[in-house]
Amino acid sequence: MATPGHRSGTGSQPNRLDRGGLIDRSRTIRFTFDGKTYTGHPGDTLASALLANGVVLTGRSFKYHRPRGILSAGSEEPNALVELRDGARREPNTKATMAELFDGLSATSQNRWPSLEFDVMSINSLLSPVFVAGFYYKTFMWPSALWEKLYEPMIRRAAGLGRASDDADPDTYDKATAFADVLVIGAGSAGLMAALSAARTGARVILVDENAALGGRAIDDAAEIDGKPAADWVRSVETELSQAKNVRILRRTTAFGAYDGGTYGAVERVSDHLPKAAEGAPRQRLWRLVAKQTVLASGATERPIVFGGNDRPGVMLAGAVRTYLNRFGVAPGQRAVVFTNNDYGATTVTALKRAGVDVVALVDSRPELSEQVKRIAGEAGTKLISGGVVTGAVGKKRVTGVTIQTRTDDEIKLECDLVAVSGGWNPNIQLTTHQGSRPVWNDTLHCFLPGVLPHGMSLAGAVAGDLALHKALAGGATAGASAATSTGRQATPTAVPKAAEESEAITPLWRVKNPNGKAFVDQQNDVTASDVELAEREGFRAVEHLKRYTTLGMATDQGRTANVNALAIMAEITGRSIPETGITVARPPYTPVALGALAGHHREKNFKPTRLPPSYRWAKEQGAVFVETGLWLRPAYFPRPGEKDWLETVKREVTTVRSAVGICDVSTLGKVDLQGADAAAFLDKIYMNGLKTLGIGKARYGGMLREDGIFLDDGTVARFGENHYFITTTTANAVKAVQHMEYCHQWLFPEMDVQIVSATEQWAQYAVAGPKSRELLQKVVDPEFDITDAGFNYLQVGEITVCGGIKARLYRLSFSGERAYEIGVPARYGDALIRRLMEAGQEFGACAYGTEALGVMRIEKGHISGPELNGTTTPRDVGLGGMVSSKKDFIGHVLGKRPGLTDPDRPTLVGFRPVDRQARLRSGAHFIARDAVPSASTDEGYMTSVAFSPSNGHWVGLGFLKRGPDRIGEIVRAYDPVRGGDTLVEVVSPVFVDPEGVRVRG
Amino acid sequence: MAKQGLTATSAFLHWKPVANSNLTVDARETLTMASFAAAKGKKDELNAAVRAAYGVDLPKTPSRVEGQQGVAFVWAGPEQWLAVAERKDGRDLETEFKKTFGPLASVVDQSDGRVVVRISGPRAREVLAKGIPLDLHETAFRPGSAAITHASHIGVILWQIDDKPTYEVALFRSYVDSFAHWLLDSAAEYGVAHA
Amino acid sequence: MRIACPYCGERSLDEFLYSGDATVKRPDFASPTATEEFVSYVYERTNPPGMHRELWYHAAGCHAWLVVTRGVATHQITSVEAAREVALKEKSATKDTK
Repeated sequence: MATPGHRSGTGSQPNRLDRGGLIDRSRTIRFTFDGKTYTGHPGDTLASALLANGVVLTGRSFKYHRPRGILSAGSEEPNALVELRDGARREPNTKATMAELFDGLSATSQNRWPSLEFDVMSINSLLSPVFVAGFYYKTFMWPSALWEKLYEPMIRRAAGLGRASDDADPDTYDKATAFADVLVIGAGSAGLMAALSAARTGARVILVDENAALGGRAIDDAAEIDGKPAADWVRSVETELSQAKNVRILRRTTAFGAYDGGTYGAVERVSDHLPKAAEGAPRQRLWRLVAKQTVLASGATERPIVFGGNDRPGVMLAGAVRTYLNRFGVAPGQRAVVFTNNDYGATTVTALKRAGVDVVALVDSRPELSEQVKRIAGEAGTKLISGGVVTGAVGKKRVTGVTIQTRTDDEIKLECDLVAVSGGWNPNIQLTTHQGSRPVWNDTLHCFLPGVLPHGMSLAGAVAGDLALHKALAGGATAGASAATSTGRQATPTAVPKAAEESEAITPLWRVKNPNGKAFVDQQNDVTASDVELAEREGFRAVEHLKRYTTLGMATDQGRTANVNALAIMAEITGRSIPETGITVARPPYTPVALGALAGHHREKNFKPTRLPPSYRWAKEQGAVFVETGLWLRPAYFPRPGEKDWLETVKREVTTVRSAVGICDVSTLGKVDLQGADAAAFLDKIYMNGLKTLGIGKARYGGMLREDGIFLDDGTVARFGENHYFITTTTANAVKAVQHMEYCHQWLFPEMDVQIVSATEQWAQYAVAGPKSRELLQKVVDPEFDITDAGFNYLQVGEITVCGGIKARLYRLSFSGERAYEIGVPARYGDALIRRLMEAGQEFGACAYGTEALGVMRIEKGHISGPELNGTTTPRDVGLGGMVSSKKDFIGHVLGKRPGLTDPDRPTLVGFRPVDRQARLRSGAHFIARDAVPSASTDEGYMTSVAFSPSNGHWVGLGFLKRGPDRIGEIVRAYDPVRGGDTLVEVVSPVFVDPEGVRVRG
Repeated sequence: MAKQGLTATSAFLHWKPVANSNLTVDARETLTMASFAAAKGKKDELNAAVRAAYGVDLPKTPSRVEGQQGVAFVWAGPEQWLAVAERKDGRDLETEFKKTFGPLASVVDQSDGRVVVRISGPRAREVLAKGIPLDLHETAFRPGSAAITHASHIGVILWQIDDKPTYEVALFRSYVDSFAHWLLDSAAEYGVAHA
Repeated sequence: MRIACPYCGERSLDEFLYSGDATVKRPDFASPTATEEFVSYVYERTNPPGMHRELWYHAAGCHAWLVVTRGVATHQITSVEAAREVALKEKSATKDTK
């Protein structure tokens, strides 16, 4: 890379140096900020382009609305947050330091009104004695009624970050999984060396970096590697890695979370750097990366020093200043003061000088003079203030000067427009703590280093404490090779390129004692050093309390430039060491992740998969209204022209079934094929009722309990052969029931000879119900099968053929209470069969019915379903106590007999009808005695299912009432305060239609 | 007298075939399938019966073997298999197996319960990686490999046919439209237009 | 977390369901103290830190029930066995001692 040249100083991009940087100067692109048009170059970030154009004021602060500029050059940026793009694509809180510039980019500053230059809310700054730590807890506490109406909306308006778009996100996102032998996180010098040495073993390598360009700080610092510019070395490594078949490089990809088993979450910003995503390409992709070994080379983040006015635009991290000079060819100022407590920070003087920036002073807080600093200051001819500190930056919308306190306590004022600050570096250890590991304080490097590493992880470079380039390169080579070796590869040593030895010497300084002005610890949340002092005085000394009391370390930057300083200041105030004071541990995500990326394809209609039953296409043609039942989309009812609402349609469907015949798709019921020599014995274990006596060609109700005696599911058991059973479950519990059966078979009764196969989808199954059902079926069932009552009576099942030889199964079952059958054919014939049934049914006045009519009819018959089998009820509760076997061992037998479950006072299933026959019933209503005061102690049960019964001409309900069956004829209140219902109901038998059960048999 | 015959309906009514240089997707419409599980203690006898009839051993690990008579056997769980063959001349694996295996296995017809989609081409691996959380890298999953897993929350049995690479995915019939939607969304960046 | 299914190989957590303690044994329903034994079997757990033997179900895979030995604080998994094999072994061991 060429040495950065001098700034052009005039015209567009006045602060652009005339050479240097990795930008493409052959192309000029236009962008707007707050409506004004500027130019930049490909390779710029929004931040570097703004700085090139001399824009230093980029936003207003969170609480005080203070003018803020660009502090950093990376994802740690607390201040320069903008709203990027317009309309539905508007993305708030975008870090200008991470947003790559593209032609036509539009960005708007946030949190200012009416404009960035003149913000009326900056009056908050004058009220700052009010906006102190614990502000939210101390203010607006009374009267509480005003909180929702007044205080909260007001605070939100004044103290918001950006605004999200109210429109649906128009972009697409996807997700993918990738596997690696060695995952390398971070493509700085250490990461590149690690990837290179792992790749050369043949190991499958994935290299991720959050930036577009690889290279990291070696490029930011315009270092030399092997005697050449670092950029040349980076390019050669990149070329080798790109050409290797076993390497995948993911640029613009942030590894945001480390999870168990070598699993990492990462988000790739596929199209964010483009004006418009390529055809079909997602905006972002969420990666699940699974690695046998991981080399974390995540680098380090520079920390500021806390002094007065340290938030003024123009006060920047020293490393960021070097990045803008060297990577982007931008001079962020013309007269600079460099303030450091370490040798590395001092190198900024050289970089500035080389770019032609006037360096007014190098302020080194260390009383002892380091050789490197002496040399740097000497070479640059810069005034060295050793043992001094910057106490304040002055200026409003841009820093205009600093006040310096010398080691002899003299005050010096210097004019400048840039303050480059380095308080040392914090290794980016976040991913090492995501699984609970605690970092360890290092007294030499004065920073937290990773503690016990997650399984399979190793470190390289700055995150390991190796800040110096020569150490990072060597560490990367070792880490990459040994990671590959642990996956079984043979490594031959990769030569470590040469780099100058750099000094990492540092003497910590966290804050300046007597700041000249407000001294910010956390710029994003406007937390000052005095807030930390106040928190301490008020007893919030633990680091977690400090965080919550002051809001420090929250929001989009998660305090990456703030947490350690805050901790150190608290340690200083309380006279404890930093590790005694606390440790900051991070949770995922490392940087914010768009919700769209987490959702991926699974949004709106695709939130979950949808299952379509065999009659779906036909039902859609009929104009059916569908309802989601689990994943299934089932017809709810089939409206006909002229019907004014769903109730009218459902009444018609019910009446048709009860008087003629109706057809309903019941394919969604779970179906399980059970075979084996012990099939009968197995069924006896999993069902509460006896099934041993079930003959071949017969079906019987089966109730399945949990071991605690509560209903798990119910359905029918049909027997097709000596050792062959076919079970149905409810639609909702199909998966759970199979899981339970497999549990019983594999874990509880492994000695049994049983084979369980789910066959739900093999059969398209239709209920054909009503007095004319047999006549209708005779039109499709092949004539050799006798389905008269003599040949095929109630609860009989059989394997038959229909429509000239198509295999089918016929079951004489009834949920409606009418004569009814279920007929199953292989699913490919499901569409044709419903059409044939409807056609053949015309002469009988047949109709199709959906889940609504199905529900009405089962309520009219007092049949239980989901609302009654609600995870709290026993067979006795639903009136099936008599069915429970007392002889055999079955799941739920013993605990089902516990006194609490057999208490006669337990609410038990009965029917209800309104005393005022016009009144509507509501499920969820609670039963209380007529004159009782509604309370938990007078509660006697609740309504589970209600329907308007066309057969009765009024609403009917099922519900659980204390000693219900003993109270037939009694009148109780159905009390429903949530929906304002309070209806007198009569306790009746739960069977509202054909109580003798005559119709079902013929 | 009943009207004769019923027309079979494709499970892939809403599909548009996909074929470009990156990816081809085909519905395999004419398969007969059966799942079968060994009766207790009959694993070896069942294997012998399969070997006698089809000339191969049943896979003991997640994999697929092609037997004689055009039948492929896919491992479908401990002591369970899914067999797949072309449905020609009314061939029906359930009937065939019941006859061949007798009491050695329980056999269940899956010809209608499951559908099979064939996905092939240079981008097939990348497309599948967007929903299938398995390592499909050529060194980890090869022709003959099989797996039971999920694709975008839809349960699937997956196997690889050849090095193009070509994969087949068996899924339950009712999920076909959702699966297609996910597949086409995932293939969109490789020039596959959405149906 | 990743679990190495003895049949399918290593798979991600989202294919599995956790289903409780694998060390409790279903009591004999005919025992005179059956109720107490079943209460203990269904409800009573000590939940100590350290390694647990747990039942997992490979729901989105081969449907095998598994006995997983896992550190509840570390998520470290030291063994994964097919539950049916474990149960058969335990049953035959019980028979032998009878």
